[in-house]
Amino acid sequence: MNKRSESEQKLEQILQQALSGLPPRRAPGTLESRVATELARRALLPWWRASFAAWPVVARVAFILVCAVLGVATILGGISAYLGDRSFDEASAVLLSWAHPFLTVVSSAGGLVALLVRVIPPLWLYGILGVGAFLYVTLFGLGAAAYRTLYLQPSSAGDDL
Amino acid sequence: MRAYQDMVFSTAARLAGNDTQAEDIAQEVFIRAYEHFSDLRSSVTAGGWLKTVTTNLTLNYLSRYRKRWRLFSELRASQDSDEDGAELDWEVPDTILADLSAEQRSAIVDTALRQLPDHQRLPLVLYHFEDLSYQEIAEKLNVSLTKIKTDIRRARAALLPLLQNAGGARDTLDG
Repeated sequence: MNKRSESEQKLEQILQQALSGLPPRRAPGTLESRVATELARRALLPWWRASFAAWPVVARVAFILVCAVLGVATILGGISAYLGDRSFDEASAVLLSWAHPFLTVVSSAGGLVALLVRVIPPLWLYGILGVGAFLYVTLFGLGAAAYRTLYLQPSSAGDDL
Repeated sequence: MRAYQDMVFSTAARLAGNDTQAEDIAQEVFIRAYEHFSDLRSSVTAGGWLKTVTTNLTLNYLSRYRKRWRLFSELRASQDSDEDGAELDWEVPDTILADLSAEQRSAIVDTALRQLPDHQRLPLVLYHFEDLSYQEIAEKLNVSLTKIKTDIRRARAALLPLLQNAGGARDTLDG
């Protein structure tokens, strides 16, 4: 064991001796009255202004049910308004017709990427990836430097928790 | 409440390093205790429950507005390893504050703790006052084990001269 780690162990021991067994600090005399006042204030609040966990069970269940019903009604209402009096088959066709252009775009984009990968020399691709990585690291470094320069003050050097 | 208020306040004050914040935290702890009164009333572990809630609330309180900066702060902590805090480069005495009463030691220690930055004071207090292991502290503070060990080592090195100076000054005043 080197001298430095011996010193650190010794420091830990003497600090443990100095810090252990210290009496607790005395709480301010106002603490008890503050708690009582806050409890009284909260007791006067109507139940619906308390946190959701403190609501009566019936109110919580009713709230969840109402939310679920409203959500489903909104979705069904939107679909119904859109479809009007069309039959189910027509409705399905309409929905699929929405998906068709999207699938076409995805398929075309995939074909384009495959074509580019075949046409562009691999060296170029590596270069593009390298430039992208360089820009990412540069921006990250600039962000870190800006944070250290603009945000961190010497007096708050330890405020990192 | 009277039986535990000093313990709760003391835990919050030593962790937060700020009496006003500690009083707010202690108030919230006792309000939560009131909400769980039926469970705690006959529990033999009420003290432990209160201490755990106090510790967690204090850590939440301190970290509420700082989480977003954790990434850069960790980056800074690793970059600034040689410039952030004191290192132990002097002789360690055999005892410290040994001639003082517990109340005098307590006052000196609390004043010295307030002078440490959060990232040193928190792990130091959790280690020496709450008897948590390095691993437990790392998990509680959600930082690496290496950083916890470094921060505690530096906190001790920074605390020692503060305690020595304060102890010496107290001796001089008393003498």
